[in-house]
Amino acid sequence: MRLSVAAAISHGRVYRRFGLSPRSRLDLLRNLVTALVRHERIETPWARADEMRGYAERLIDYAKRGDKDERAMRMADFWLTEKDLIHKLFKVLAPRFQPHSGSYTRLLQIPNRDGLDRAKMAVIELKGNALPPLVRPRRDSEKTLLNQLLKGYRQDAQRAAAP
Amino acid sequence: AVLVLVHSPLPRLRALLQRCWGRLERGLWPGVFGGQSPPWGAALAVQGPALVPEGISGAEAPGLPGSVVWMAAPKHRRTIEVNRCRRRHPSKLIEIKRNIDVCPECGNLKQKHVLCGYCYAKVKEETRLIRMEIHKKEGGPFNAPTVETVVLYEGEKPTEKDEGKRIIERARKRPSWFVQN
Repeated sequence: MRLSVAAAISHGRVYRRFGLSPRSRLDLLRNLVTALVRHERIETPWARADEMRGYAERLIDYAKRGDKDERAMRMADFWLTEKDLIHKLFKVLAPRFQPHSGSYTRLLQIPNRDGLDRAKMAVIELKGNALPPLVRPRRDSEKTLLNQLLKGYRQDAQRAAAP
Repeated sequence: AVLVLVHSPLPRLRALLQRCWGRLERGLWPGVFGGQSPPWGAALAVQGPALVPEGISGAEAPGLPGSVVWMAAPKHRRTIEVNRCRRRHPSKLIEIKRNIDVCPECGNLKQKHVLCGYCYAKVKEETRLIRMEIHKKEGGPFNAPTVETVVLYEGEKPTEKDEGKRIIERARKRPSWFVQN
């Protein structure tokens, strides 16, 4: 019976390792969450954005409980290092996301970083922000060539089937 | 009497063998032959190197110390056929990407799961200018507002949906890709 895990096997581990230590990892993610709440759209390495997304969404879930809740206030106090953002979180973000039941952030990959490391970068933003949209939703139009050809084919089939 | 020539290359081993032999000769080592006399009638002298038990057989050069590290080295030249097989193996070739598409907005190339670089650069520049306006409006650090924000371009008035929001003015025409909600 194996009582200890061999080194270099990490089956089932969900948390990535960042920074110098677990405490440093939390500080790093905390800085990113603070920046996201302040600027509502940030560009960071994909792994950090992915890791930070869960923490940010749970923070908003806590904020939805209202600022009279003691645990919510303690969470916001820990995770937001700039204390004017606690007001923004409870007064702006919580009402904004009240009708939504989850997925308050959007994570999109962007081209690799220009520097020597060519790191995989992502942009993470809170939904419903006032900044210009990153992706325009494309609606399929009747006027594209493919749709016109399909329409013509359907009409021919109907005419052949009708009489 | 027996003539003994000890030609061991190692002086200490040679001295040890000479001492042992001396003791054997003088009968000062009773335990070796089980009490009887040593069995040499016509014993021949043995060359030194044959007496050396095991281990180092033949030094690399006289005067070199015994602690030399043995390193792995290729024995034969790899032929060009073998080299080609290794260098051109599929796992070593660059794989071709089949996920490159054309961005429908600007026509530049993009990967299917990644945002278009040109369109993203446009949006990034516009957000930078909007953030400069926000910074001018807020004045200093740590002045995050407690109301929502809305961005209005030249000649636009706030609608009834924008009641109670902080208004950020941008001094240019509204870009076509930034649709007002």
